[in-house]
Amino acid sequence: MKKIYVIVLVMIVAGIALLINAAGDTSTYSTFEDAARSGGKVKIAGQLAKDKEMHYDPQKDPNYFTFYLTDTEGNERKVVLLREKPQDFEMSEQIVLTGKMKGDEFVATEMLMKCPSKYKDEEIYINAEKENS
Amino acid sequence: MEGIPYLNEHLWPGRIGHAGILLAFTAAILSAFSYFMSVQRADYADEAATWKKIGRGAFLGHALGVFTVVGMLFYVMIREYTEYQYVWAHVSDDLPLKYIFSAFWEGQEGSFLLWMFWHVVLGGLLVASAKNWESPVLAVLMLIEVFISIMILGIYIGEVRIGSNPTLLLRNTMDAPIFANADYLSLIKGNGLNPLLQNYWMTIHPPTLFLGFASTAVPFAFAIAGLWKKDFEGWIKPALPWALFSGMILGTGILMGGAWAYEALSFGGYWAWDPVENMSLVPWLTLLAGIHTHLVAKSTGYSIRSTFFFYIISFVLVLYSTYMTRSGVLGDTSAHAFTEMGLETQLVLFVLTFLLIGLVLLIARFRQIPEPKPEESLVSKEFWLFIGSLVLLFSALLITASTSLPVFNKIMESFNPAYVGRVITDPIPHYNKYQLWIGIFIGLLSGGVQFLRFREMNWAGNSAKFFLHTGVTLALSGALTWLCTRWINAYAWQYVLLLFAGCFTLIANLDYIITFLRGRLKVGGSVLAHIGFGMMIVGILASGLNKRFVSINTFVMDGLIEGGDSERLKNNVLLFKGVPMQMAGYEVTYVSDTLDNVTRTYTVNYQKKDESGKVLEEFDLHPNILYDKSFTKIAASNPDTKQYLHKDIFTHISSLPQVEMDMEFRKKREDSLRYQPHSLRLGQTYSFTDTVLLRDRDTFVLKQYSLRLEEITREATHPDYKAQQGDLTAGAVISVKRDDDDSTYTVTPMVILRGQLVYYFPSQINELSARVRLHPDVFDQIYTPEESLTYKEFTFKQGQIVDFEGLQLRFDGFNPKAEHPALQKEESDLAVGARMSVLTPQGGQFQAQPVFFIRDNTPFNLKDEVENLGLHLRFLSLDPKTETIQLMAARKLPQEDFPAAIELATNSLRSDYIVMEAIEFPGINLFWLGSTLMMLGLGLSMTHRIGQLYKKERA
Repeated sequence: MKKIYVIVLVMIVAGIALLINAAGDTSTYSTFEDAARSGGKVKIAGQLAKDKEMHYDPQKDPNYFTFYLTDTEGNERKVVLLREKPQDFEMSEQIVLTGKMKGDEFVATEMLMKCPSKYKDEEIYINAEKENS
Repeated sequence: MEGIPYLNEHLWPGRIGHAGILLAFTAAILSAFSYFMSVQRADYADEAATWKKIGRGAFLGHALGVFTVVGMLFYVMIREYTEYQYVWAHVSDDLPLKYIFSAFWEGQEGSFLLWMFWHVVLGGLLVASAKNWESPVLAVLMLIEVFISIMILGIYIGEVRIGSNPTLLLRNTMDAPIFANADYLSLIKGNGLNPLLQNYWMTIHPPTLFLGFASTAVPFAFAIAGLWKKDFEGWIKPALPWALFSGMILGTGILMGGAWAYEALSFGGYWAWDPVENMSLVPWLTLLAGIHTHLVAKSTGYSIRSTFFFYIISFVLVLYSTYMTRSGVLGDTSAHAFTEMGLETQLVLFVLTFLLIGLVLLIARFRQIPEPKPEESLVSKEFWLFIGSLVLLFSALLITASTSLPVFNKIMESFNPAYVGRVITDPIPHYNKYQLWIGIFIGLLSGGVQFLRFREMNWAGNSAKFFLHTGVTLALSGALTWLCTRWINAYAWQYVLLLFAGCFTLIANLDYIITFLRGRLKVGGSVLAHIGFGMMIVGILASGLNKRFVSINTFVMDGLIEGGDSERLKNNVLLFKGVPMQMAGYEVTYVSDTLDNVTRTYTVNYQKKDESGKVLEEFDLHPNILYDKSFTKIAASNPDTKQYLHKDIFTHISSLPQVEMDMEFRKKREDSLRYQPHSLRLGQTYSFTDTVLLRDRDTFVLKQYSLRLEEITREATHPDYKAQQGDLTAGAVISVKRDDDDSTYTVTPMVILRGQLVYYFPSQINELSARVRLHPDVFDQIYTPEESLTYKEFTFKQGQIVDFEGLQLRFDGFNPKAEHPALQKEESDLAVGARMSVLTPQGGQFQAQPVFFIRDNTPFNLKDEVENLGLHLRFLSLDPKTETIQLMAARKLPQEDFPAAIELATNSLRSDYIVMEAIEFPGINLFWLGSTLMMLGLGLSMTHRIGQLYKKERA
């Protein structure tokens, strides 16, 4: 057999092994219950509970922000984000958190927010309303 | 809404633009078909030549179409014709002209046009230079153009929309009641460009990246042409400069994206393994693999098959990345994919078509592609170049596989709706841990391969040299690695190994360029590129591994969160204005901030002091924040970086007091303040007691305050106040003291009357969390109210003197060009001033000029006042016949001593701080220098190869 083929074969095997290994780096979006059960680092997707209190007091601690999140199963938990409060946070449609449960709180180290697109047609409608009134 | 005669619309650019799209699309089809026929009928020279002529003509037509659409779109954007949807979505009247380019390619349609534009430019160059390769290469290129033009076609087949047309009118793209108004244009405003994209990198990064993407089509087209015409070796030479060009430009485009991220975004770094970044990197990796096998193929005839494969896969990966970033499949896994536009099916077809064309051709012809019989020797340079290419491919496949997880999820969900999609929990470490090994392999290979030169020449005579060079290089690399580990504290063995690989390739290639090429850089492009690669590796490790947070607040109360790893994340510090804070060896002070339009720029001062307090080093950084155009929210936060040769200090504002970030909250907050009114006479001190909430303790304490009115004035200023004609202003100087604070704070609040509205300009005393404002009653006290005046009428002739309340009034004549602070002249106005002199018994003389004017047949008069005398004059009318004027006068001295109304709120929040993140990146310049060298090396090789092509021709 040609040595090129040997090398390619080795690479393919290595690649498959790596990908199988990499499957361990992935996870599904968890719920608070899963997070409490596993105790490990998970990703949670959910929505901001807009009626609940948000707390960020940078004068006390600029890296401490709390809010409530409703996960995909509808459970609501307090979330502690160890970062500054992001801009436009109230506008977020969906939030993805990385972190783990500590007691009753979910301590998140990272957060991704999905905000409504800026191409909103709102302005058109607002102006139209002004026009009608 | 048909039949409404809309006002002020400009319809012709849209019509021309639309015609341009249709022309570009049809001409591309014709050109692709004609060029195709010209290849198929190659045996019949005349026919082939005719087809080729048609192909060229159609290519020109296509070029004309593309330039027309691009031109028209730019035209309507520059003129801000918001009747066009694309203009409305991407331009606003406050967008500086320099960002029109960024706005042009912010949207999908604009970036598709940019891509097509580059294909046309490259196509033109190919028509001029490709000779007998013109027909097959252009046939492929124009087929690609057909597919891209479909993306901006915007036609409907049944209910399905094909492509998105950028020349559509806004009123045709959405249904809103506003379009019932014929003058709707006066009511709408453009949305403008995302402030994050308002950065000069965004002017040059997208065109460079798209030129990179577009240029991958050229080696692809050459490869397809070679397979198609069964001329497996003829394309190798003419295609090489194109491949090198593509590698250089695509690489530069990716780097510029990194530079933009580093400079404009606040995540603190140039690379985040974001899917969009990954998918632009992957085709570049396979392209580089292709360039390496291409070089092997050119010099030995080996690896032609793999070169075909690499160029096909590079272009298909470009298409795949287009699909990933534009179809919406990435969803919430990427921070900067395009917004979804319903092009998914089209994009999938685009990718599959070219994947199939490439693979089917390659498989069909595979056996016919020549491959020299004796296998490459294990010690030949070419063999290891090939291995290197395989490693690059391997890297590309790993990245693609991980990045494609959302695509995989989507496919699984279509088979099984209950399937729950998976995500990579921690993307950055995930990618890093695999790519680390790729870096090690590539580093060792690109260094080691240089020593095979001794083997190739005359092994017996050179073995001593081989051992000398290899030994010295290994020793030097080891020493350099050791030094680097000390510098950047990289002690994990994997990192040491990677560092060694980087140092090794750096030194091995330096050795090559010095002792073998003897400094002849002209032929040393590849060596230069590999030196760059080595540096880049060291730079990545230094800046990434050892990035150090400067902004660590050691005074933050601990115990809020238990556990060690959370400490690492406390990267933000709070700085009060003017209060220095020690952090990581620096004394950092938030000095000031200035507001210019919607940009607030902060000055943050860094000082490094020695033990005696002497300043060793000092610099200012200016991070800024951008408010959105309606000034209600923060739209972007731009970092600023202090650059040293050996490190960068990166600083950005991560948060601000909420009253500074959210104007709605600011208003609410202002409304909720408990203002207590106090009446004060000039020079009087007033003391009172108020309850103050103690922070963090939910208890109140009593505090003694004292207020003193120092001065009261009509001419007042305030940092937030912008003077307008007709404003009535009042200001005061007030000192405030609290018993538990030694300092006395002096503030200058102001209040204005504009029309019928009162505007407050309060002053904040952050140290006391107090806010002082002036009550509008103060107007009555410093301006005499009109109703308290008793006027007396007089008739004057020019020069006449009249006695009034102990003063002498003299009418000196008319002023036909009268001006008055409250008069905003209109064209039809007839305005005239009466020049009056006022003489006091003490011999003083004052001038006054009341104004009389007629607007729309109605007479008006404007008062003038001699403030010192309390004299008010009004010019009522004039009689041209007798040359007399009617004037009325009143006199009332202003109150010398009156109580001014001052209000103080003691529950105001502090607003004089910033929350800041500062990161030190050591050795980041090595990354930039190394990566730039790589691109220079590719460019050098390209010019060298072009030179070779033409030299051969002349010979």
